[in-house]
Formats: sequence, structure tokens, C-alpha cells
Amino acid sequence: MPQSTDLLQGTLDLLILRTLVPEPMHGWGIAQRIQQASQEVFQIGQGSLYPALHRLEYKGWIQADWKASENNRKAKYYALTRTGKKQLEAEIESWDRLAGAVALVLEQA
Amino acid sequence: MLNEFLARLRFFISGKSYGEVDEEVRFHLDQQTEANIQAGMSREEARRQAAIAFGGVERAREQCREERPGYWLETFVQDARYAVRGFLRNPVFSLTVVLTLMLGIGSTTAVFSVVDRILFRSLPYGDSNRLVSVGLVAPIEPQEFMLGGSYYEWQDNQKPFVALTSEIGTEPCDLTENDPARLDCARVEGNFLPTLGVSPVIGRNFTANEDRPNGPPVALISYSLWFSRYHLDPGVVGKLIRIDGHATEIIGVLPKDFEMPRLQAADVLLPQALDVAAERRADPGHPMWAFARLKPGVSIEQAKAELGPLFEYSLRLAPAPFRKEVHLQVRSLRDRQVHDVRLAAWVLLGLVMAVLLIACANVTSLLLARGASREKELAVRSALGASRMRLVRQALTESFTLSAAGGVAGCLFAVLLLRLFIAMAPDGMPFLSKARIDPRILAFAFATSLICAVFFGLLPGMRKAGAEALTGRTQTTMRHAVLRRGLVIAQIAVSMVLLAGGALLAHSFWNLEKQSLGMNAENIVTAAISLGQTSYPTPESQMAFFQRLERNLRYGPGVAAFAISDSLPPGGYHRDTIYAALHVEGRPAQASGTGGPVAWRWATPEYFRALQIPIVEGQGFTDEELTSNDRFVVLSKLLADRLFPGQNPLGQHLHLAGGAPAANDSTYTVVGVAANVKNGGLGGGEEPEYYRLRRQRAEDWDRSSVLILKTTLPLGATEAWIRSQVASLDPTVPVDIKTLSERVGKMADRPRFEMLLVGFFAFTGLVLAVIGLYGVISFFVVQRTQEIGIRMAVGASRADILRLVLANALRLIVPGVLLGLVLALALSRVLSSLLFNVAPHDPVTFAGVTGLLILVALLATLIPASSAIRVNPTVALRCD
Repeated sequence: MPQSTDLLQGTLDLLILRTLVPEPMHGWGIAQRIQQASQEVFQIGQGSLYPALHRLEYKGWIQADWKASENNRKAKYYALTRTGKKQLEAEIESWDRLAGAVALVLEQA
Repeated sequence: MLNEFLARLRFFISGKSYGEVDEEVRFHLDQQTEANIQAGMSREEARRQAAIAFGGVERAREQCREERPGYWLETFVQDARYAVRGFLRNPVFSLTVVLTLMLGIGSTTAVFSVVDRILFRSLPYGDSNRLVSVGLVAPIEPQEFMLGGSYYEWQDNQKPFVALTSEIGTEPCDLTENDPARLDCARVEGNFLPTLGVSPVIGRNFTANEDRPNGPPVALISYSLWFSRYHLDPGVVGKLIRIDGHATEIIGVLPKDFEMPRLQAADVLLPQALDVAAERRADPGHPMWAFARLKPGVSIEQAKAELGPLFEYSLRLAPAPFRKEVHLQVRSLRDRQVHDVRLAAWVLLGLVMAVLLIACANVTSLLLARGASREKELAVRSALGASRMRLVRQALTESFTLSAAGGVAGCLFAVLLLRLFIAMAPDGMPFLSKARIDPRILAFAFATSLICAVFFGLLPGMRKAGAEALTGRTQTTMRHAVLRRGLVIAQIAVSMVLLAGGALLAHSFWNLEKQSLGMNAENIVTAAISLGQTSYPTPESQMAFFQRLERNLRYGPGVAAFAISDSLPPGGYHRDTIYAALHVEGRPAQASGTGGPVAWRWATPEYFRALQIPIVEGQGFTDEELTSNDRFVVLSKLLADRLFPGQNPLGQHLHLAGGAPAANDSTYTVVGVAANVKNGGLGGGEEPEYYRLRRQRAEDWDRSSVLILKTTLPLGATEAWIRSQVASLDPTVPVDIKTLSERVGKMADRPRFEMLLVGFFAFTGLVLAVIGLYGVISFFVVQRTQEIGIRMAVGASRADILRLVLANALRLIVPGVLLGLVLALALSRVLSSLLFNVAPHDPVTFAGVTGLLILVALLATLIPASSAIRVNPTVALRCD
């Protein structure tokens, strides 16, 4: 198993929000999706996933509902709220700016 | 932003069960296990790997909890509960802390509520910061005044003020209606209220037409008169009342909080109605008191400078002897009002701050001691994962809980203390009776306890107990000890300052009480009588009343001597003139200067015998002189020595009014020299004095007199008898009867009050400091029980142990006392104007205080020391 890369502070929030754009998901699903999408680079230390989910919920950016899962068990599904969507846009923009800036430095220095 | 807040609020209110988190985590683990099985692991292995990948379940759950919006409150409640439980387990400790805080916060709050009125609260006038008192000061009258001769010139030509106004003082006046009453009537200029920025609650102010001689008689009445006599009836405006027999129209009511700028009592305001044209020509003109409102941007110094030319003008009018000694005074109205209590107020504030400091140091010291014994507990909590922040917060919560309890107790204590202050306070302490605990004061108390809490919460809480604390003996305990010792030294030093101040004032008070007044106040009953203006309009009628009264009283039961004067020694009101006004016949007039004030009173022949004032030369006044056409005077020894150095004063002729003898200036013959009598108040200096014989001639009499009776009967009987005699002549005349000792005692009220206050705070400070010292020493003994045991086991005698403990105590006491001595010597100068016949560095007082402090401090160490020498080595060594 590849070594987990430390996520930048705050990046986890961004990833979670982005992952929830297509459809509501439960915690495990979110972790899996991030792992797959990052081609196993991001191993979410699940210990930090749930506090993050709760934090986002308290902030009102995502909303939780208990629903039946694909294998018919009760699971907590998280969905993006309207504020969450706006927040995602803002975060993506600032991430782009940051990544661009880092890239610039790496190329030129 | 709003959404976020609402979401937080929703979760905060509705909460969320922790079970949800568990279920969520379980679901997660199951899913992962399934996935692992599908990847080919055995069920056991799959579950194990899932758990490993997830990490600490318990930690995740904790972290989820910490994300909750209400988390800080939960921990606060938890901390508070924990703190309260801890305090209840140790009630002696908690009680000591709360009581200490109560003393500190309570006395600070009570004193602040008194001082607040004097130093900080705004006066009941519009924009009162721009109001100033303007006038001349002379040696004879140190509080500024004005004279009609120059006032109007000033009013016309002044530049720095928006307006200049005046009042000509307050006089007793009679409300001559059914249910007559004696009131205080103040006479003020027409622009008085507008200049002060005061408008009547109902009705209107005086008009210019009303403030002139023979204008329509109108009056403004005070709110309290409106309340007591007219029951707040708004129809009172336009009513007629009879003041001294004149029908006067009420045109308005003053605001409830109105007070005269010089704080005299005033029930009625009347227009002063001076004849301005006559005043301008007059020299010196009517005495008055002037107040002004500064123009925006003009400072008091600028105003004073700009008044220079006008002051020069007034100086030219002043009689020659005065010119060098008269000065211009412009100062804020507040400064004028608090004139002589300002210093006392600051001293008081300084005192309670010192007490508060000691109290806080004490509580800090107690908490430090407690913290030291809880070192292990803190280390355990830290090892179990409590963050440093959390521990600091816990410490702060504890101190806030304590200071909240102390603050509440302190407020209650402050209310009690304030009642006590007001009950004890002498008359004439301005504002004291109006001092209240109001929301501002409560805010002050709250802020004080908050500051205390941070002070004594943060200090012990700042450090995180290291793991080494688990082992028992540590370095941090020692650092604690250094801090505590520093605090105790500071406490001893501050209480030394308090004690020194208290002792100086007590010494001064002792001197004041024991001084020789130059007379014997024993068995003297005095009755002050002031006749009404309307019933007794002429000196003839006034003299007739007093002579009839004298005939009725002179040979009454128990009366050994009877005299009539117009004022009484040793202080308070008496008539004044200046030395330069006395002129010895056959000598050139005084060169320059006023020569300072000279007191004088009217007296009848038995005055000296009644008060047992020895006549040292001549024979004093005789009964034959009472009917004489000539005038007679008795000089005090001080005045006689100054007027007639090396000469015989008897038989000399004096002019008492003005410099050069004028045609109508009467001549007085000196018929005696009396021993000096205190006349400048108990703490004041002695002025030279003379007595004029009050003959049986109308010109020598006026409305007020004081009857002096030397009696062998108790006061109660004499008082009733005098009242009945006065009432039989005229039942409407008010009489103020007191023994002379009472009047003298009253004069000592103020210094007694000051001494008691300072003494109270000094005592409180001392008790607190001693508790602090006791705490530190007994902690030292407990901590070193093992060491003491070892020392004893290897052969130390009890005397050695005692020496060890005492040496430790002395290392706190000696530096504390030395530091305190230095501080006290530096600060006691502040008190010098409150002291009577005691130098602020009086060696006896300082030596006594030092001895007392050391003695008490050593006593405080004796209890722990005696338990130290009773340590049983075997027991001490066995305990852990």
C-alpha cells in the first residue's frame, strides 16, 4: 500500500465537497472515491474524514440524511447544499490560483 | 454567512446524539471489511485491516465531538462543575479565598462608589466640563469670590467665556404661610441657570426684568420642596407663596438633581436683583461668587491669561493693603467643589487599591499552594491527553468561579460597608450621602474581580506540568515557591504602608483630641438662636428679645454663669477682619499688606468666666460697662503681644475699622488681655483675636446670637428648660441646643472618620498579609516534613528546627518590612496636609508600626513552627 500523502490543511474539505458534486454519498464511499480518483495517492486517514464531514455539516455546506445503502443497510448520506456549492466554487478558484503560483515558482526558480 | 450561522445555531440547540457517529463508523468498517473480503482476505484479516486503515475509533469520535458548535460551552460547564466539586471538597480553602476576595472587592467597590462622586462623575449641569469658577482669592478667603464693584466690568469686557454669571449666597428665609417653615433662599443672577446649562423641569427661568431692584417678586423652587409641599402638583407654577412676608410668584421648579455650584442647600432661588449701576460705582461692592462657561477651545490657562487686564482693573479698586495678597483664580467647578476632599479621596482610593492588591496576592498565593499540591493530578491529566490550552482553561475556569463567588460576596459587602460609611461620616463630607451602588459601580466591581481572576488564574495556570511531576519532587515546585515568597514580601510591604498611614492618622487624631483648647468646654450648654427677618426687623427688637431671654435664663436652676456671644470657639464660623484694619491711636497707619486675618466676636462680661478663659491682664469686661456710651475691647494674648510689644495694652485706644481714623470711626478702649483660645478649628492655626463688649445698645445686636450657660444640671433638663423659656417668648423661633463638648467633638468628626477608614483598611490589609504569611510558612513546613524528619534523625535538636523555620520566615519578613518602610516613607508625605502636629516621617510612629508588623508576622509563623518541631522522625520518614 502506498504511503499516504499528507493532505494540505483545508484541502480535505475541498476534496470532499468536489466528490459530492455528482450525487450524495456516505463516508466510506467518499473515502473510496477520493482514493480512486487520486489513483491511490490520497489514502484518507479515515480518522480525519469523519471530523471533517461533521465540521462541514455544522458549517451548513453539506447536509446529512439517513438512507438505505446499495446493500440495504442504513447509512448516512451526505449531500452538497447551496452554500456548499458556492463555497466549492470559491475554494476551487483559490486552489487554482495557489497551484498556478506554485507551478510558476517551480518553473522559474 | 447567515446560513452558516443559522446552521450552527440549529445544531447548537437541537444537538446530535453521539450514537450517530458510532453507527456511521460501524457502517464504514463493515463496508471496508466487505471490500477487503472481496479482495480475497479472510473475514478475520479483512476486519483487522479495516480497523487498521481507519485508525483510532475513539479518537475520531472525540474529534467529531470537538467539531460541535457547543463544544467550548460543554467543556466550560464541565470545567466549572469540576472546579466547584474541587472547592466543595476543600471548604476551608475555598472559604478563605472567597472571603479574601470579598474583603478586597467589597472595600474597593464601596470606596469607589464614594470617590466616584467626588472625582469622576459629571456634575448635574449641561456640558459641565466647560464650567469654571472665577474670582479673587485673598488670605482672608482662600476660596475665590467676586465683588460687585468689579464684577459687572468683568462681565462686560471678558473674552474667554460664553457667559459669566453670579450668585450672592444663601440665607435663611421664612415661608410665612399656614404651616410656616424655615428655608434656605439662594439669590442668583438672571442668567444663572442658562449659564450652568440647567432648565427648570416645569415653568421658566427668571427674565431680565425680574432681576432688577424692585422687580416683580418671583421664585424658582427646588424639586424636594415641590415634592414635600406641593406633592409634585404641576399647577404650582403661578401660585403665590409668602417668603419673609412678601407674596412671591412661583415661576418654575428646579430639576431633581440640581445643586448650587458651591453645594449650599437651597430650597428657593430668588433673583439677586442688585442695582447694577450702584454696584459699578460701589467700592468694594456686594460680595458674590462668579461662575462661567468657557468658549469652545479655550483652556482654563488661556482664560486666566485673558482675564489679566480685568484683574488689574479690580486690583486698582482694592484697598492698598490687599493689593499684594490678592490673586486671580480660575478653576474648574469640580476643583472648586472638591477643594479639600480631593486629596482624601485619592488617598482612600490608593488605600483600597493596596488592600485589593494584598487580597489578590493572597489568593494567588493560596492557588499556587494548591497548584503545587495538585502537580501530580495535572501531570496525570496531561499524560492522558489534556492539551496545554485545556489545562490553562481549566485553571482560568477555577479562578473565574472563585472570583465570581468573591465578586458577588464583595458586592453585598460593599453595600453594607457603604451604609456604614454613610452612617459614620460627619456632615460636610460632600457627596457622601449620595453615594450609591449603581450599575456603573457594579460594572467596576465585576471588572475588578475579572482582573483578579485573570491575575491569579493565569499565573499558576501558565505552566504545563511536565511528566517529571509524576515522580513527586520537582523543580517547578521550587519555582512556585519563589513566586509565592515574592508575593508574601510584597504583601508585607504593602501592609506596612497601610499600617504606617493608619498609625500616622491615629497619632494625629490623638494629638487633636488631647490638645489644649485654651478653655474649658465641660458643663457648657450652648443655644444658637437666629431670629426671623419679618418678626424682628430692627436691631432694637432683636436686642429686646435677647435681653428678655437673658433675664429669664440668667438665674434659672443650676446656671452658674451666663454669656451671650455670636460665635463659639474653637472653630467654625466667627467674624473676621484683617490686622491692618486695627489702628492704635497715636500711631502712624500700617505700612503695607493685610497682616493676615484677625478673628473677633461679641461677648458679654461673663463670657470669660463661663468658658474659664483666664484674663491675664486687666479685669476684662464689667457690668458697669454694659450701659456705657464708650466701647470696650479685650485682646487675646497673641494680638496684644503683636499690637503692643513690650508695652502695657491696658487703657490703649484702638480703631477697629479701616486704616486712618475717620470722623465716624469709634474708639475702643482695651480693658483686658485674655489667654489664647483655639479659634481656627481643631487642626487649624491660631489667629489673633479680640472680643467686643456687647452692650445694652441696639447697635451691638443683630439677628443671631449664641447663649452660653455654665450649668450644674444634666443637658437633658437644661435643654428642655431653655426650649420652654424661648417658646414662652416666641414659639416660632428655632433653637439649636448642644453642649460645647458636643460641638467640639463634632469638629473632630472628619479626622476621626479619616482615621477610622484608614485604620479599617490597614487592619484588613494586615490580617490578609498575615494569612498569606501563615499560608506560605505552613506550606513550607508540610513540604519539608520529610526533610525535617531526616534532620531530626541525624541529630538536629528542636531548637535547630525552630531556627530553620524562623529563618525562613524572617527571609520574608525582613525584606518585606524594609521595602514597606521605604515605600511608606516615600508615600507618607501625601498625608502631611491631613496630619496635625505629627511629621509625616514621625520616627516614633514608624518604629511602633515596624515593631508591630514584625511581632504579628512572627506570631503567624509560630503555629506552623510549633508543628514543625513536633514532627516525629519515624513517621515523617515513612510517609511517601
